[in-house]
Amino acid sequence: MKILKESSVFTRRQFLKGSGVLVISAVFMGIFAKVGFDAVAAQEDVVQKRVAGLYSLDEKMTIRKSHENPEIIQLYKDFLSPGEIKPVSDKAHHLLHTRYGEEVPGLIAELKKHPIEAA
Amino acid sequence: MSTFTSRDIIHVDPSICKGCDHCTSVCPTRAIHGTIGEKHRIDHRKCVNCGQCLINCPFGAISDLSALDTLVQALNDPNKYVVIQVAPAVRVALGEEFGMQPGTNVKGKMFAALRQLGFDQVYDTEFAADLTIMEEGTELIHRIYNYAGVAGFEESGPLPQFTSCCPAWIKYAEDRYPHILPHISSAKSPQQMFGAIAKTYAAQKLDVDPAKMYSVSVMPCTAKKYECDRPEFIASGYKDVDVVITTRELANLIKQQGIDFRNLNDEEADRLIGSSTGAATIFGVTGGVMEAALRTAYELLSGKTLGKIEFKKVRGLKPIREATVEIPVKDLGVTVPVNVCIVHGLKHVNGIIEDVLAGRSKYHFIEVMNCPGGCINGGGQPIRHEMYA
Repeated sequence: MKILKESSVFTRRQFLKGSGVLVISAVFMGIFAKVGFDAVAAQEDVVQKRVAGLYSLDEKMTIRKSHENPEIIQLYKDFLSPGEIKPVSDKAHHLLHTRYGEEVPGLIAELKKHPIEAA
Repeated sequence: MSTFTSRDIIHVDPSICKGCDHCTSVCPTRAIHGTIGEKHRIDHRKCVNCGQCLINCPFGAISDLSALDTLVQALNDPNKYVVIQVAPAVRVALGEEFGMQPGTNVKGKMFAALRQLGFDQVYDTEFAADLTIMEEGTELIHRIYNYAGVAGFEESGPLPQFTSCCPAWIKYAEDRYPHILPHISSAKSPQQMFGAIAKTYAAQKLDVDPAKMYSVSVMPCTAKKYECDRPEFIASGYKDVDVVITTRELANLIKQQGIDFRNLNDEEADRLIGSSTGAATIFGVTGGVMEAALRTAYELLSGKTLGKIEFKKVRGLKPIREATVEIPVKDLGVTVPVNVCIVHGLKHVNGIIEDVLAGRSKYHFIEVMNCPGGCINGGGQPIRHEMYA
């Protein structure tokens, strides 16, 4: 008996305590996993309904192509590229295009040096 | 580096966090630290401000920085001329805050409510989405011409071209993959295009001093709050977009003002920079920017009218989708097969970027959106509390 007791890793008390902690944490993890799982499933259903909402709105629109938007055509003809529809004109480039990462400080300096002509 | 700045949008309240660890499973960039049972915290150097953790937290412990007070002050200031734009995804989700089913189209009631709230001009981000297609689509055509060796397009960037509408994706690329940046379209997002046009073209047409114009944006997105504060967005000579509020915050504002949203009569956006098309509407869903770009690129390149304008192959919720569209290019006299790819969920984009950097990619145009499903499932959208009941 003595040999057996010496070779056991846990005492009876430690074993009970340890398994108690394990059981409780397993139950908690189960609850959270279930909450997470149900939430994901519910969220997917919501996502699908919102997606369907946008596609059906598209079908109801009279104009369904960007280049046919009359106010876009007017914006190019009156302002961005006077008299014509020419995307990526100088003015369009100044107002509608940007740069990323390390090029941002240079862009800011340029925008401050050459502001768009006053309206 | 982890100092609190106004550009750190998403925060965990340690007094509410239960350490359930659900947020770390939805975070696209592993920016949330903590294990089960611990208070979680966000590493803002890695965070892309998408708010997926916020809308998925079962305990409501995560919140986004709000500027609603500043907006209310501007509305009450007689010297300010307040204009507002609303993103496509808002109109199919706002109704949920008033007891309606997800996907219910409340576009008309939304514009009516905004007018009652006292905005001087009620416009639509969809207008700017159409403008984005014009600029980004043309840029893609130029890149293809450059690749095909057509003279005069040598200044154009490399292929494939990535979309640039999603500010979480942009920050991710800047943080993790700086070498991919020349591949990202230089076209601004619709929100920022709108801001730049409002304080120049619209101010001119409306005869309003752009210094007095206050530009507000309603977005399904928390990363848009970060985007509008980026210091380079001053092309109009002023801060192009002054403040961003989410779909949730707009709903709160409507409730605070006691507006009976459900019984409002439908109204339309103001004209000038308020009209839109179906192509702009679908910007709010994964694959939508691609489909909108294809509708325009096909017609402009071929000189023909599309018989069937839906590109069903780019639709769906699979994380990575691809398609080849044969476009007869009138100017070149040949039919060009354009390979397109759509990704949503940043977790899925790494392999695609690495293929591009290694020169293995077969794609010409790649759409990236951070949130699963696209903007309709953005971090600023209504939270489905009943999921956790």
